[in-house]
Amino acid sequence: MIAELWLGTLRDVAVNAVPTIIVACGLTLVVVTREIDISVGSAMGVLATVLGLLVSPARFGMSLWVGIAAVLVLGAVIGLVNGALVVWGKVPSIIVTLGTLTALQGVNALLLHGEQITQLPSALRYLGVGRIAGIPVSLYLTAIVVIGTMLLATRTALGRRLYAVGSQPDAARLAGLSEVRLKLFVFAFTGVLVGVATLASVSQIAVIEPNLGRGFELVVVTAVLVGGTSIHGGRGSVVGAAIAAIVLEGVRTTLILLRLGESATYWERAIQGAFILIAVLIDLLVRSRRATVRRA
Amino acid sequence: MVAIPRNNAEGGAGDGVRAGVGRGLEVDGLAKSYGGVHALSGVSLAVRPGQVHALVGENGAGKSTLIKIISGVVSPDAGAVSMNGTPIPLGHVTLSQQAGVATIHQESTAFPDLNAIDNLFVGREQGMRRGGLLLDRRRMREQTIAALAELGEHVDVDRPLAELPLASRQMIAIARALSQQCTVLILDEPTASLSEPEGEALFRAMQTLRMRGIGMLYVSHRLAEIFALSDVTTVLRDGQVVAHRPTAEFTEASLIQSMVGREIAPLVPKSAHDTVHDTPSDGATTVTPPARDEPMLLVTGLTREPAFRDITLQVRPGEVVGLAGLVGAGRSEVARAVFGIDRQTRGEVRVAGQTLTPGSVPEAVAAGVALVPEDRQHLGLVLPMSVRENLLLVVLRRLAKFWIRPRAIERTLVQELSASLAIRPAGPDLRADALSGGNQQKVVLGKWLATKPRVLVLDEPTRGVDVGAKAELYRLIRQLAGEGMATLLISSDLPEILALSDRVLVMRQGMLAGELPRAEATEERILALAMPADIALRERVAS
Amino acid sequence: MSASAPVVNGATSRDLVAQPSWWARLAPYRHEMALAVLLVVLFVAAAIVSPSFLDLTTQRALLSHDWELAMLTLPMMLIILTGGIDLSVGATMALASVVFGLAFTRTGSVGVAVAAALGTGVVCGGLNGLCITRFKVHPLIVTLATLSAYRGIAEGMSLGQSVSGFPASFSQIATMTVAGIPLLGGLYLIFALMLAFKLARTPVGAWLVAMGYNETAARFAAVRVDRLKVALYTYSGLMAGAAAIFFAARRNTAKADVGMGMELDVITAVVLGGTSIFGGRGTVIGTVLGFLLLHESREWMSWAFDYDELNLILVGVLLIASVLLQRVLSGRSGRRA
Repeated sequence: MIAELWLGTLRDVAVNAVPTIIVACGLTLVVVTREIDISVGSAMGVLATVLGLLVSPARFGMSLWVGIAAVLVLGAVIGLVNGALVVWGKVPSIIVTLGTLTALQGVNALLLHGEQITQLPSALRYLGVGRIAGIPVSLYLTAIVVIGTMLLATRTALGRRLYAVGSQPDAARLAGLSEVRLKLFVFAFTGVLVGVATLASVSQIAVIEPNLGRGFELVVVTAVLVGGTSIHGGRGSVVGAAIAAIVLEGVRTTLILLRLGESATYWERAIQGAFILIAVLIDLLVRSRRATVRRA
Repeated sequence: MVAIPRNNAEGGAGDGVRAGVGRGLEVDGLAKSYGGVHALSGVSLAVRPGQVHALVGENGAGKSTLIKIISGVVSPDAGAVSMNGTPIPLGHVTLSQQAGVATIHQESTAFPDLNAIDNLFVGREQGMRRGGLLLDRRRMREQTIAALAELGEHVDVDRPLAELPLASRQMIAIARALSQQCTVLILDEPTASLSEPEGEALFRAMQTLRMRGIGMLYVSHRLAEIFALSDVTTVLRDGQVVAHRPTAEFTEASLIQSMVGREIAPLVPKSAHDTVHDTPSDGATTVTPPARDEPMLLVTGLTREPAFRDITLQVRPGEVVGLAGLVGAGRSEVARAVFGIDRQTRGEVRVAGQTLTPGSVPEAVAAGVALVPEDRQHLGLVLPMSVRENLLLVVLRRLAKFWIRPRAIERTLVQELSASLAIRPAGPDLRADALSGGNQQKVVLGKWLATKPRVLVLDEPTRGVDVGAKAELYRLIRQLAGEGMATLLISSDLPEILALSDRVLVMRQGMLAGELPRAEATEERILALAMPADIALRERVAS
Repeated sequence: MSASAPVVNGATSRDLVAQPSWWARLAPYRHEMALAVLLVVLFVAAAIVSPSFLDLTTQRALLSHDWELAMLTLPMMLIILTGGIDLSVGATMALASVVFGLAFTRTGSVGVAVAAALGTGVVCGGLNGLCITRFKVHPLIVTLATLSAYRGIAEGMSLGQSVSGFPASFSQIATMTVAGIPLLGGLYLIFALMLAFKLARTPVGAWLVAMGYNETAARFAAVRVDRLKVALYTYSGLMAGAAAIFFAARRNTAKADVGMGMELDVITAVVLGGTSIFGGRGTVIGTVLGFLLLHESREWMSWAFDYDELNLILVGVLLIASVLLQRVLSGRSGRRA
């Protein structure tokens, strides 16, 4: 009985963490190449709105497949715009994604006009509540994304090159690696993953409202950093980020379960901040340990 | 130690060499200038397959420029490079690599966060894919272990390079170069930071390469290695080839002579200012010896592993103490610790009797220490700022009245400094990066002279400086010494050390190897003190 | 010795030594001049399309809710000038606001509340500075973390509730005018002038510029880099505390969700104002112009087109565009310092 309760809670936590995990996969690779993308929250908001507008019977009522395709393509486009500004405009990624974060918020507000979209096709809901062999569909999806990204990162030439570029950009250039292509890829890849996460998120929440995605980027970045990715590039684990995302979500759920009530959610952000700092300090320790080894 | 057979074949046109094949790397008439300073002029040489070609010369002789051109980092102003008869397009690193040129730099340009396997294969994963997408990591692993074993290296190929010793990292870099089917391997001072056994492992690896028919261009300051390993030696001096012979035809003395031999006189004019240190044979000196008893700078037991250990030295007012040694001996690191940029782990620094807190630059400067760093462009100056701002940067607070900058006083000071140091062109509002190397150095010096220091530490003050400015700087240094400045002069330019120093200290691998008073100091003696365990190595290696 | 004589705007080095032409002397201020031109263009367009916008009372009213933003741009400019960044200003403002409210509720004294708010700002900023200098963590990461942490603590302490009911004597500072100039606006101008003076006529200006261009070289020149950094981030925190106080006076409320997204606006204004995100280059006049341009274009958008959402798009685009512009400008700049 206890075990059932435990597993049930774990499952719920994991399901809640699905969007975070999916985007964290892509963001890990972005950070590995020494860039950052804080526009993922706003991007998710816009993509959700577009999805809602396209497929809701109360709006354009188009086929769900059209909606899915639009979300994925649009996500890739947003990512490419970010990437292009970084590699060709040579604008630091923090600025680019800070700018797109805002602009997308505006676009989202423009599209929604403060309203909500509640009528969604039931097929979409399947992703959120459906189960196969007792396990929610969204978890299968997440597992595919995580395993796929992990394989990409560790077992493909592209993946290794990403780590190389982040580890030592000059040497990467000398080795003939194209920083432009690699970085465009990670941003676009993250954009597509944001699209996937949007699908998962909307199918769970079933309501599209203006605040969707607010603060999401912070959670994802926390998961990425806590999961062992170094902000200095070259080092990072997709699986680690996924686990960290689950842990963070677990902490949040624990706070609620402990009956701290309303205040629990209020302290959540503070804890996030603390997590980031801890993650960075650990990274610092690892780097200084390496420096000592090298000097010896 | 395996005896290394010599390959003295020079391969001239009539040597039965077919056009193209087997000629190796040929460099013809390379020239490169940086803002008026000729880094290279008319340099030609050849590295034949299976041959170890040594490239020697002092710092500033043009070795690194030559290597940069061959490896494609920099384009020359004139000249050509070809591999086996085919010209290599210059200025593109990937093209040089494709032509078969691989370079091992001193600080290996590898990926510290990746392991040996990735370092070997990144960028050239062809043939390692299974099913067209995923990498066959098992095969990659096996090949990496094999490639390293061939070089005598047995490291953990799964650990990130940052956790491996420098010597292993170099081996991995070499293995990567080999796997790229290079024809010629350039090694730029590979042993500078290696211990003896690590160096020997490298030499064994080079033997393997030689047997594979790979030509090597070996740059080193360590003459013992030159004699032990190389077949042919080229000597560069002031950007030109001054000697090019089979190594066996050199003696240590003749090699050093080629490296350094030049007229010393024009650089150190004997003028009225210079009466302080005429040669002893002169007998009568007309000025009282400036060296008083209490040292201005006293360093005791200074240690900062692994850069240097137990350094004890003193500099008296009016004295110029030269600090000589090979690259990597730890001289600059000592200077940095004295100045407070780095914190020493043991030992103390005293200026005029006052002990300095380790690691505090403002305190050292307040006590009267000034450091003109080796890297003038990145450490000595803030290039985008104006000459005026650079000159004033350190003394701003001192000059300020109630925190306000006094325009008139600042202007006068800048004018005085510009004039007395002859900084050209004379516009103080010019950006510092618009000046030539020599004038930039004068700005750095001026910035420090404005603080009226008592101890002046100079680290390679005339590197990349043209002859005219050099002479001016020498005159200035002697003049300052005459006025009581305690000067510590770090230099790899031996005639410079000999011309300016009252005493010469020699560092070797982080420790003080010896001291030579002016009368006994010669270049040969300095080099002999500076070079590590040469005789034993030479004897072991000689066929 | 053939030192190349740089040619600037047709002048040779000899000309530079003698009397530089007024055009040559203005060259480093190209960005600021462009801003001024844009501002004029904006006003002209407003005059044509919706002249009521330019009404003085309207302008004063519109400006009155952006003084907090203006105040925060000054320390942010210094931080970005030295190559750093502070993403936590909004969150610090929120925490200071909550502390202000709590202190007032507990003691009934505005004076105590003001001191508490300012003190909170100082502590928050100082903590940022400490993590950056002592633990050597990148400012981006530190302030990203404190962005969460401070806001979170504010929300936790306040539990979503807000405090209001401040005495009229306090609230009126928001609307008070001295000789026609709003008090808060006047304070801002005074701070800006003081800062401009400090940068131009005291050693600090040169130190900060050196730090921004080349921190290592600055250390080699005995500039107390770490001390300055801590001071800058503390100053930023202090101003965030002051902003919380201004907000409380103006809106008669102290709560945890003030300053949401404030950091983005502040950074945009500073970068728009010509301060280089890479450090070393920046002016107070530029920052003032940047703030004005951002403020006026946002307000005009709402006024003329009634589309608040366009504001956000505008700000996002402006931020990216101004950095792109800087790159273009600096790529073609002459050799004057």
